[in-house]
Amino acid sequence: MVGGPDSPERPPARGPGLGTKIVRGLGELLVTAGVIVLLFVVYEVYVTDWMSASKQQDANQALDDKWRNERTLHADPLDGESFARMYIPSFGADYKFAIQEGTGAQSLDVGPGHYTETAMPGHPGNFAVAGHRVGKGAPFNDIDLLNSCDAIVVETGDSFFIYRVLPKKDEVAGWAHGAGKRPQCAKVEPMLAPDEPDGGLYGKTFGQEIVLPNQGEVINPIPNQPENAAPIAQRASLMTLTTCHPRFSDRERLIVHAVMVKQYPKDPKNPGQLPPEMEEQA
Amino acid sequence: MYPWIWRHLPGPAAVRVVSAAVLILGVVALLMFVVFPWVEPMLPFNQVTTQ
Repeated sequence: MVGGPDSPERPPARGPGLGTKIVRGLGELLVTAGVIVLLFVVYEVYVTDWMSASKQQDANQALDDKWRNERTLHADPLDGESFARMYIPSFGADYKFAIQEGTGAQSLDVGPGHYTETAMPGHPGNFAVAGHRVGKGAPFNDIDLLNSCDAIVVETGDSFFIYRVLPKKDEVAGWAHGAGKRPQCAKVEPMLAPDEPDGGLYGKTFGQEIVLPNQGEVINPIPNQPENAAPIAQRASLMTLTTCHPRFSDRERLIVHAVMVKQYPKDPKNPGQLPPEMEEQA
Repeated sequence: MYPWIWRHLPGPAAVRVVSAAVLILGVVALLMFVVFPWVEPMLPFNQVTTQ
């Protein structure tokens, strides 16, 4: 960005003409603009990651402290407060993010953010979480690579909830004899009811979908159904991840739906214990 | 612009190099911590929620 070694130490005998000055000034401005754009890329790809990494670390620390000390674990979290942690074992043992309440910019700077009006982990309905795909730690960078039945482990103050990605649309037909035979799929079934019109309440719920930004119904208690489509008793416990799609664009949203298959209450006498699903490899 | 700045920096060449470096760092810090965080929310890849 400096005028390099070619910067004139001594002014030329006769100053450059006006045209030269304009062209030179324009060139400098263009070069400067290019450097600023490059710096912005560095900022977006590296600097926001560092900033978010330290915020995420603080959030995890705060969670540990809270879980160790607090007795009233079921109070609704405040906006921006960390209240749960998610793991995706198939993304590696170090994939661990504190989840914040709310999907505002401040929550999402720290890590994944919970849509305030949706269910809490383990509850019937839809525990919906948004996360960045570019910069800011990019927690949801690779969720397009999640396969059906991959585990998403959500830890709260008193439990671990095991969610598994639902069958994708093209796997549903041959599920019982195809993808569904893998051991991790033991408790995962396509949710659509083949003998009901449109597959029943969950006829439009698959492991992955790509929707337009205004299709907020993907995070409804029953995805893609009206909010009041069914009483709470008929709702499955789902988890939904949302992020931007395609990467670097806001044209669409990438949605991943998972269903809860298991809950492990935490044993207060054995605090470090982790569920066996955390050992699963990709 | 840059030659003009260079001519107006005080002191011998070595001092000018140092002050130029400080200026650059200042501008980069201003961009990284003030300008970019302000611009960023307006960019598309930060829209990760549905409406």
